[in-house]
Amino acid sequence: MITAADAASMPLLNLQDIAMHFGAIKALDGVDLVLREGEVLGLMGDNGAGKSTMVKVIAGNLAPTSGSMLVEGEPVAFQSPSDARAASIEAVYQDLALCDNLTAAENVFLGREVMLRIVGLPVAINFRAMKDQAARLFQELESDTRASQLVRTMSGGQRQAVAVARSRLNQARIVLMDEPTAAISVRQVDQVLKLIGRLRDQGVAVLLISHRMQDVFSVADRIAVLRRGQKVADLATSDTTPQEVAALITGAIESAGQRDWPPEKSRSM
Amino acid sequence: MALAPMSHDVRSRHWRDGHLNEIGLLLALLILVIVFAQAAPNFLTGRNLVNILRSASYVGIIAFPMTFVIIAGEIDISVGPTVAFFGVAFAQAVAAFAIPIPLAILLVIAAGAAVGGAAGWLKVQYAVPTFISTLALWGALRGGALWWTDSLPVIIPSREFRVVLGGDIFGLPVVAWIMFATFLVFAYLAAFCRYGRHVYALGANATAVEALGISSARLRITALASTGAFSALVGVLTDARLGSGNANAATGLEFDVIAAVIVGGTLLTGGHGRMIGTLLGVLVIACLSNGLVLVGVDPDVQQVVRGAVILLAVLINAALAKRALSGQKA
Repeated sequence: MITAADAASMPLLNLQDIAMHFGAIKALDGVDLVLREGEVLGLMGDNGAGKSTMVKVIAGNLAPTSGSMLVEGEPVAFQSPSDARAASIEAVYQDLALCDNLTAAENVFLGREVMLRIVGLPVAINFRAMKDQAARLFQELESDTRASQLVRTMSGGQRQAVAVARSRLNQARIVLMDEPTAAISVRQVDQVLKLIGRLRDQGVAVLLISHRMQDVFSVADRIAVLRRGQKVADLATSDTTPQEVAALITGAIESAGQRDWPPEKSRSM
Repeated sequence: MALAPMSHDVRSRHWRDGHLNEIGLLLALLILVIVFAQAAPNFLTGRNLVNILRSASYVGIIAFPMTFVIIAGEIDISVGPTVAFFGVAFAQAVAAFAIPIPLAILLVIAAGAAVGGAAGWLKVQYAVPTFISTLALWGALRGGALWWTDSLPVIIPSREFRVVLGGDIFGLPVVAWIMFATFLVFAYLAAFCRYGRHVYALGANATAVEALGISSARLRITALASTGAFSALVGVLTDARLGSGNANAATGLEFDVIAAVIVGGTLLTGGHGRMIGTLLGVLVIACLSNGLVLVGVDPDVQQVVRGAVILLAVLINAALAKRALSGQKA
């Protein structure tokens, strides 16, 4: 039935037979992955299963050894993260890539500062415009983050909001989130999951990489499982259980999900 | 205005916390002036104040670009020898090669930028710490200047040059006006320009800066190039004061420059500092040096006192930084 939906709506991101080899090590081995508008895909797997490599390939940090990548049906080959950004893919990294010594607004606009112009010439950074626009983004994300607050003084959840606001500013249509709930307090986790839901409501496709089963089950529409560089399952969240996913991660169950994507097929390079 | 009263309170507290260092420096400056004015009757004369300003200027012109270098998480310890070497190079260009003075000034500044930029490039390309590359330059440039001139002054055959660049405008030394202009340019860059804000970002999180598509290589190389260029400019200005290029000029200047920046509240760990703090730091160091001489403190003891004052300032800074970094407490 997913195959039918596949034909109906063009996927935003379509990875076909992606392989990433580091010498003899096959970090990714024939992985197919589809991400649609307004969908949260949970990507799970044990340490070393290939999740981070996957994110790096999609974000343009690594060029895959082989395989093709389509954004809105167009083939792409990223040489750098800025290529990926130009294709409206934004990664929110585990370490968040924030600067502690700058305000939330300055972080949101870092590298894309709004300039005050006099007769067309940029004369100074327009801090007020950046603050107002960042405040609007935080409001949209229903976050209590204040635009003029220094990031140094923020909670983990607020930092996530800053990083996510950065992706909203870019009008990114595909947002990759690498372990967004790993380093924050239980209370903050809820905030971050709400952030992800809000992104989905705005039609953004979210790839959520996480170890935390309950977080993935609470926001993801679909769950894909990687094991030793191969995708062993791609399931609708409603069709599976944490027990099944855990078994797929560890290898207690060999594979599950769509019959048209058996891992055997993708082993051919 | 649009600000709620509460956020206004938060703001003013931020402002006070954020500027404690500058407020402290102003107080320190005031105390120094009062103490020295009591102890040495000729300290508070117009003539002596101009002297203080002049010596502060040679330090300050380099201290502002140095502030950027340190905020970026780098260091340039080669500035003293850079001043001497390009002072000599300028004198040679004019005296031996008869290059017109304006052209010689431009050439020497460009060469200074290239030498400083090379240290930045070694960091970017080969991960050579700038402490090491500029230590190498520190030795090579001083040695090169001495060898080039046989340690003898190179006389500049132009009285006009000395009168114009070594003279006064509106009662203040030309070098002081240049220092003020440098301050304004760097304060503007630091507070209002992309370049400056990116330098702060680089000092806090280099990976973040790269991930956002900002070239950290460009930031590092230009920061180091600017200390090189302004050191070369100070070399020319020193020649204008002395009427010659001297391989022994600006001995120990790097200590005064770095001390002024650190006393001014810039953290050696990168990411934090302000040009106004550096300006005050430069004035404090200049006042202290001048006052100790006028009071008649033994030159050897002067060094000890300066060392102690710098250490004290750094300790106070560390305490302030700890307070600011730990976030605002209600």
